[in-house]
Amino acid sequence: MIGSEKRSNKISAIIRACRLIMRMNQSRPEARKSELLYYKMLDGYYSRLLNARENGKPIAAHTVFFPSEILYAMDIIPMHTETTTWMMSLFLSNQAEILSAGAELGLASEICSAHRGLAGAFSLGALPRPDVMLWSNLICDNTAKSGELITEINDCPGFYLDHPFQHSRAEERYLIGELESLIRFLEEKTGRKMDWDRLSEIVARMDQQIELCREISELRKAVPSPVNIRGYLQLLTVDYLCPGQPEAIEYLEALRQELAGIVHEGKGAVSPERFRLMSLFVPPIYLIPFLDSLEQEYGAVTVAEPLFTRWAAGRLDPAKPLESVAMKFSLIPERCSMYGPLDERTLKDVAQCAREYKVDGAVYWAFIGCRHTCAAMRMFKDALNEIDVPMLTVDCDIVDPTVNSKEEIRGKLVQFFELLEDR
Amino acid sequence: MYMKALGIDIGSLTTKAVILDGDSILAANIVTSSDEAELSARAALAELLNKAGLSSSNDLYIVSTGAGGKSVSLSQQQKSVTTCLARGVHYLAPSVRMAIDMGAESSTVIKVNERGRLNDWANHDKCAAGTGIFLQQMAKLMQVSLEEMAELSLQDKSKADISSTCAVFAESEVISHVHREPPTPKADIVAGIYFSVVSRIVSLCKRVGIEKDVAAVGGVALNRGLVTILEKELGCGVLVPPNAQFVAALGAAIIAKENIEKSLGR
Repeated sequence: MIGSEKRSNKISAIIRACRLIMRMNQSRPEARKSELLYYKMLDGYYSRLLNARENGKPIAAHTVFFPSEILYAMDIIPMHTETTTWMMSLFLSNQAEILSAGAELGLASEICSAHRGLAGAFSLGALPRPDVMLWSNLICDNTAKSGELITEINDCPGFYLDHPFQHSRAEERYLIGELESLIRFLEEKTGRKMDWDRLSEIVARMDQQIELCREISELRKAVPSPVNIRGYLQLLTVDYLCPGQPEAIEYLEALRQELAGIVHEGKGAVSPERFRLMSLFVPPIYLIPFLDSLEQEYGAVTVAEPLFTRWAAGRLDPAKPLESVAMKFSLIPERCSMYGPLDERTLKDVAQCAREYKVDGAVYWAFIGCRHTCAAMRMFKDALNEIDVPMLTVDCDIVDPTVNSKEEIRGKLVQFFELLEDR
Repeated sequence: MYMKALGIDIGSLTTKAVILDGDSILAANIVTSSDEAELSARAALAELLNKAGLSSSNDLYIVSTGAGGKSVSLSQQQKSVTTCLARGVHYLAPSVRMAIDMGAESSTVIKVNERGRLNDWANHDKCAAGTGIFLQQMAKLMQVSLEEMAELSLQDKSKADISSTCAVFAESEVISHVHREPPTPKADIVAGIYFSVVSRIVSLCKRVGIEKDVAAVGGVALNRGLVTILEKELGCGVLVPPNAQFVAALGAAIIAKENIEKSLGR
């Protein structure tokens, strides 16, 4: 039996960490407004989750790249599963507890640690019990399978959203049909009705959000570049947690304005900027403070993430909200690299991105739980080597610190910086 | 003002030091590493100064590298072993484009460009299988010396199957070969061990892309039996430069020399 007090432990702790950072930032005159807004956004997201029961709102846990725009439109509280594990590893540093609980469930170490940790946290009763669990085959086998386990642990109903692999008119229609089934499922299980006007508003804001991300990406082309590795992860988090939400727009607008000012003044995220790096995949989240300091120490700045922050061309149409939610999946940067189809265009785009951002070298964070994605690393390496951009592969884990030590990662990065310096 | 360049490679088993006089190697020295990198470096330095006929280290610019390279106070700069290997290999054999460093605790493959700069690298740093210490353990297990082991490997009739990628499990496989009835011939077991080490190294080579000329450096490169198998598996000749175990220290000394020249505005 899951105790209600224990149930919210991790969420309360994340909220406390966010508030502590906000208080620290408020006392620093040089703290950026966007930083405050970012932690305010996280605080709001997790506070809504913590207080959902009290406010009589249903909770829907969902895997990454699940259309939470629909949940927001139906006034259902979303709980992004992978990001919540990330936040636990970043703010609480108690991965061992949740990962070992995941191991007790029989989850082998090769399985994505974000999902292992999540299952462990649910089995410990350390996260709120969702009213429904939602998952899909976007983006990987882990997302496709872990939903069933979470459903079983929480004894709640679940819905699996099937994404077509290719893009064609017929497949788009199929996906819209899947989204309609999802809405019917949510209406039946939660008693909430779809508010189509609200969904249109969310889609309009999501379109604006993507445009803001594109503008921020443009600003990052500046030499020196104004965003560091932490900034990259914050950009991801905003889309994962708050798609089409006013707080996301507020944060991104503030960030864009600040970055424009920084670029105008000729300042950069690190000073002096010595190496401009492309990040392929996601670095270990629990090491972000360490990677921040390493960037400063070596003047190495992450300027582009073609597989994660480079949105494809296209606009969303608020007059066609459901079609737009479906269309968003064809725009998200991660789709081609992690799901597919990975074709020549993606490889050319990575090389093009390296040229546009004047990249000195690329770092492929080979996340052990995303081995299906890592299978493509050689193709990326060859594509970059063709334009004389070296690529470092760092075997690592996003959440699990036992895969490699901080010193090991430092050693590899320092070797790579020496290689770049020597060229 | 610094006059001479010195490189020290502090490995887990041995510490190597090389001193340059202009472009030439003035002296080189190797000592057994102690528990503390600082002590190893000082011991290697003292012996080297003696060999080189120098009375003091005052005018030496020192670059350290290797597993203990970061922990020594006497060096002016620390460099990673891959950067040093590239410089050292290029000095000894400028035509080499790929070098395999087979050390005590790790195996590293580097790609070197025509200027002696590192282009790429890959290494095994997770498991002892494929390293010098693993071979030492196996020799002990088979009750032969490393030299005898190298000789035995050239006399195999059919190599024993040592398939595990884990040093601990590989040891169990070797024990089962020793104790089976009749026991697998020693030469076949040794050949199996060498093939198992070489297969890991070849996979590293493929990861960075095999490019000739190929060189083997590090203490294990002096093992003729293993290099013979390596040549067979790579399908090309493998050059073992003289003083193969000094290559990283030599590279560190070359970097020290470059730094001296920079400071002199050359």
